[in-house]
Amino acid sequence: MNDSLTDRFFHISALRPAVNKIPEAMPGLRNSTSSERLLQLLQAECLCNRLGKHMLASSVFPGPGLTEVDFDTLRLLAPGADSSICDPSRWLLLDTETTGLSGGTGTYAFLVGVAWWEGNNLKVQQFFMRDFTEEPSLLFEVAQRLAERPVLVTFNGKSFDWPLLQTRYRMTRAGNIPEPQAHLDLLHPARQLWRLRLKSVALAELERNVLQLHRQYDIPSETIPQRYFNFLRGGAPEPVAEIFHHNLMDLRGLAALAVRILSILEKGNGCGAEELFGLSRILQRRGNSIQAGETYRRALDHGLPPPAERLAQRELALIARRRRDYELSNALWEKLLGDFPESMKAYEQLAIYYEHHAREPKKAAELTCEALRKLQEGFQAGRLPSHKFRQWHGSFQRRLDRLDARIMKPTGD
Amino acid sequence: MTHPIVRTSTALVEVREVIHELTSRDQANEVITSVHHTPSREAEWAALPEWVKPELAEAYRGKGVLQLFSHQAAAAERIRRGQNIVVVTPTASGKTLCYNLPIINSILENPDTRALYIFPTKALAQDQLEELQNLGKRLGNAMGIFTYDGDTPSDARRSIRQRGHIVLTNPDMLHAGILPHHTKWTRLFENLRYVVIDELHMYRGVFGSHLANVLRRLKRIAAFYGQKPQFICSSATIANPGELAGRLLESEVEVLDKNGAPAAEKYFIFYNPPMVDRFLGIRRSYINETSRLAQEFLKRDLQTIVFANSRLHTEVLLTYLKQKNPRAPGSPETVRGYRGGYLPLERREIERGLRSGEIRAVVGTNALELGIDIGSLDVAIMAGYPGTITSTWQRAGRAGRRKGTSCAVLVASSRPLDQFIVKHPDYFFGGTPEHAYIQPDNLEILVNHLKCAAFELPLDPAECFGKVDLQALCERLAESGYLHRSGHFWYWTQEAYPADTISLRSVSSDNFVIIDETDGPEVIGEVDFSGALGTVHPKAIYIHGGQQYHVERLDFDERKAYVRKVDVDYFTQAIRYTEVKKLVVEEESTIPGPAARAHGDVLVRSQVVGFKKIKFFTLENVGSGKLELPENEMHTTACWITINRELLASLPFSISDRQDGIFGLLYALESVASLLLMCDRMDLGTTIGEGNQNAGAEERDPHTDLPSKSREGELREFFEPTLYLYDAYPGGIGLSEPLYRIYDSLLARTKELIAACPCEKGCPSCVGPAGETGERAKEAALAVLERLHP
Repeated sequence: MNDSLTDRFFHISALRPAVNKIPEAMPGLRNSTSSERLLQLLQAECLCNRLGKHMLASSVFPGPGLTEVDFDTLRLLAPGADSSICDPSRWLLLDTETTGLSGGTGTYAFLVGVAWWEGNNLKVQQFFMRDFTEEPSLLFEVAQRLAERPVLVTFNGKSFDWPLLQTRYRMTRAGNIPEPQAHLDLLHPARQLWRLRLKSVALAELERNVLQLHRQYDIPSETIPQRYFNFLRGGAPEPVAEIFHHNLMDLRGLAALAVRILSILEKGNGCGAEELFGLSRILQRRGNSIQAGETYRRALDHGLPPPAERLAQRELALIARRRRDYELSNALWEKLLGDFPESMKAYEQLAIYYEHHAREPKKAAELTCEALRKLQEGFQAGRLPSHKFRQWHGSFQRRLDRLDARIMKPTGD
Repeated sequence: MTHPIVRTSTALVEVREVIHELTSRDQANEVITSVHHTPSREAEWAALPEWVKPELAEAYRGKGVLQLFSHQAAAAERIRRGQNIVVVTPTASGKTLCYNLPIINSILENPDTRALYIFPTKALAQDQLEELQNLGKRLGNAMGIFTYDGDTPSDARRSIRQRGHIVLTNPDMLHAGILPHHTKWTRLFENLRYVVIDELHMYRGVFGSHLANVLRRLKRIAAFYGQKPQFICSSATIANPGELAGRLLESEVEVLDKNGAPAAEKYFIFYNPPMVDRFLGIRRSYINETSRLAQEFLKRDLQTIVFANSRLHTEVLLTYLKQKNPRAPGSPETVRGYRGGYLPLERREIERGLRSGEIRAVVGTNALELGIDIGSLDVAIMAGYPGTITSTWQRAGRAGRRKGTSCAVLVASSRPLDQFIVKHPDYFFGGTPEHAYIQPDNLEILVNHLKCAAFELPLDPAECFGKVDLQALCERLAESGYLHRSGHFWYWTQEAYPADTISLRSVSSDNFVIIDETDGPEVIGEVDFSGALGTVHPKAIYIHGGQQYHVERLDFDERKAYVRKVDVDYFTQAIRYTEVKKLVVEEESTIPGPAARAHGDVLVRSQVVGFKKIKFFTLENVGSGKLELPENEMHTTACWITINRELLASLPFSISDRQDGIFGLLYALESVASLLLMCDRMDLGTTIGEGNQNAGAEERDPHTDLPSKSREGELREFFEPTLYLYDAYPGGIGLSEPLYRIYDSLLARTKELIAACPCEKGCPSCVGPAGETGERAKEAALAVLERLHP
């Protein structure tokens, strides 16, 4: 009987090595050497607090400062917040590097980078756990920073970084879970502003195409967890040092993005048509329809690509109608008649106008007939899903029946 | 519009009429092998306990519950006292009240209290939800009662996690959706007082071994939040509910099995379709007989439920019965089907129709066996033995109103188990239902859950996780890159989320995906690794959902089988070469014969070396092919019987007859073993070894999965054959040791099976089909058994 047969673990497939590559194990060497070297590489220090110790790397970036922000502008990003968020010195930019993207209790934020403005400089602190035992002290330190600057600024932090950190606080019980006073997640406005122009609104894409920032070198973010695992097992510190750099770049990008988005929201100056369009949508969502209408008009003046143009026309028409500016809304609806997805709304709105305001039931009936015809064509050509078809068809048909009845007895009213 | 229902107050006259008609036709008692009569039983009542809050008592009163059955009161008291219990009572005895009453009461006393209910299927949870919400409404909707499963919309999940006092879920969701995100469930875990596990008997074998580990994880998470919940289980009648519950929960559990619910008079009939060819042992189709019988009851307007063992048979029986009971113009269909794959809304509608009596007959699969509320019917007919005594009683329990007479009929197919059961009514009615076995310390399963546990909370080497050496396992997991030790604890170091890749229904997650390329690639199913090489080898005919597929190629490394739809008149049967090597003998003893029995660890090496093409109906061999597939090794547990040389030598048979006898004996042993162990035939593997070679070849028919004798080894004489019965899952799921313990009844029952079979020279019901086995196989097998079990 050979050894492999006496080994009870030999045939357990659940024990087979994980697919990704594991560096040569150096269990004896781990900790001191590679950690020491990482400390030197990054000119970092060892930080102690009452929950233990961890590593801290600090750096300073010169960059565009942010002094005072208009409250109304900020409320577009954080509707419920009070005016104390206007002071950017109370802002904490935050970005985490984690052992995975799937979330859940077994995903760790092993590197938490925070940054804030000091004058024209951006001050960065990166907290790093050299091993899992250092997590509580790292989390404690992050909580301290957040207590000093309670307005959190992130990119996708509302659905990723912050819930993950909340889970980490619960798991380690490293004090109470800090509650930010407000959380400005820039992913959402960025998506509104640049989705039209750029296919991807990943931070690196925004840096390249919007912020004109260039990363000297960078690592693919999907390699980050494995770099860290390798380090834990005594691997070389250089791959992890590159994660610090990546995180630093993310924080720098985040700061630049914050400045850029705020300047667009405040003035809308120097914006292209697509950005103006996005800005209008943000304004509209926050209920600022007057400004939204103006901005839609500006976006249309700059010239939008066709689908966005129709969307802008439609929204502007709806805003104009609400202000009873029928001249403008009708002109826009006329432009939208045809085979577009927005056309049905246009037929409907014009029919309403002619039926109830202009009192021209014949004209309204004509439009409704045309809408029904277009609807049929669109459905047959597969441009329209059946539930939409049924919905529109029912509403136009009822309108037509009503109009027909009214046309039949002309002395009515 | 409702169907005009002429309900007789009792079905007594009609049921007796049918029974009389059937028995008078069958003078020789060959067809009706048993008519078992259970007299009616009075209810045993108990008062509502005094601690029940008035509003809850009022709510139950509103539902017509004024007092309790004795077992409900006993259970409620135990739960109140904080004991772990398992309630064992038959279908429709009001078992949910046993736990709902004390749990809701304690929520009313302290609204922070939380309870987790675990059901084996989503449908059952849904059914319970309606019942609980009805109670909740009567209590002014003060409680949050929700199901949490794969169908729960994501926007509702957050609120359920916060506001759910009672959360109804299933083991899979607990495993992959709740435990790995326990920090989102803080409210629940910090206040978790009760865990209810319904239909406990469902958790046997692989599924049960997984659940035991999921519960280990649940307990450690609860402990993290300072809780040690109390467990309340309910089970259908099995032989060892206390033992099963004890192994699942790993703590003391009290069994409550005194049923206080009333029951009406009931008949249970065993029906064996008449023989058409005595020599080949061929009987009339049991499906046709089932539909004929059902019609006898239906034409007397007795509400009938028909159980089939497969989807295909459900559809066939449904078609027959619909033809015979056409829908009257303008009224709804009175015969309906019910099985997995029907939409929830349709199911609800059928359940309502059955309760109201509008639907007169339903044809279903085991989906209807579980606690779905369809009320009680007059007649339950089973097309084929459901596989276990427990599940036969469950299905039979669908017939049986509180008043009047009801009837259950088991129509036997020609499978060995069916034949054994109908010919041995004593065995069935003698009150020895099956044992349920699990093996929570199966290493394959345990290691997978250990990964999940590490993901959920760093592992402390001092923790107890089964009886394994946690430290050694953690070190191995670290070497493989899954864990990393930091300070005192072991941490998860993988990007992946381990629960995602671990299915609770199979031992290892190493499955082959079957891809149909007929109209563009489409995944139609999965087979687990051990079954794959026998069923989806190249050129195999794979049958799925009644459709035949030809396996075009097998990508072994990628674990993918590419198939294409075909319509051919044959099926394929893999020729498998299996070798068993004993690794560790746990226990050994001599038995009469002379022979020896033992159990322990073995290494099973098997290789599919070729296949045969078998024509449908005639079962002619119409071709074959050789295959070169990788060998598969599995470390598992086995129970074996070694027959001494003298025994064989002294038998008055030729060498080849003796060998036929040994193969026939193994065939019969496997049937009986799976019967006694309450496991699927697929859960057991068999092979014959010889001396130190321990080698044997075995073929498996992929449709019946019965082993048949090897032709290759025919000329070799066995000197000391060893008959292996092994756990077909890596690591074993706890079947071998029990088999060793019950070998006496294993041999006795096998002898009865073969001796009582009316065939002349062997048939699929005893030692294997005549023609496949040798002329004297049956005789020789019996002669060996006579020596082993005089």
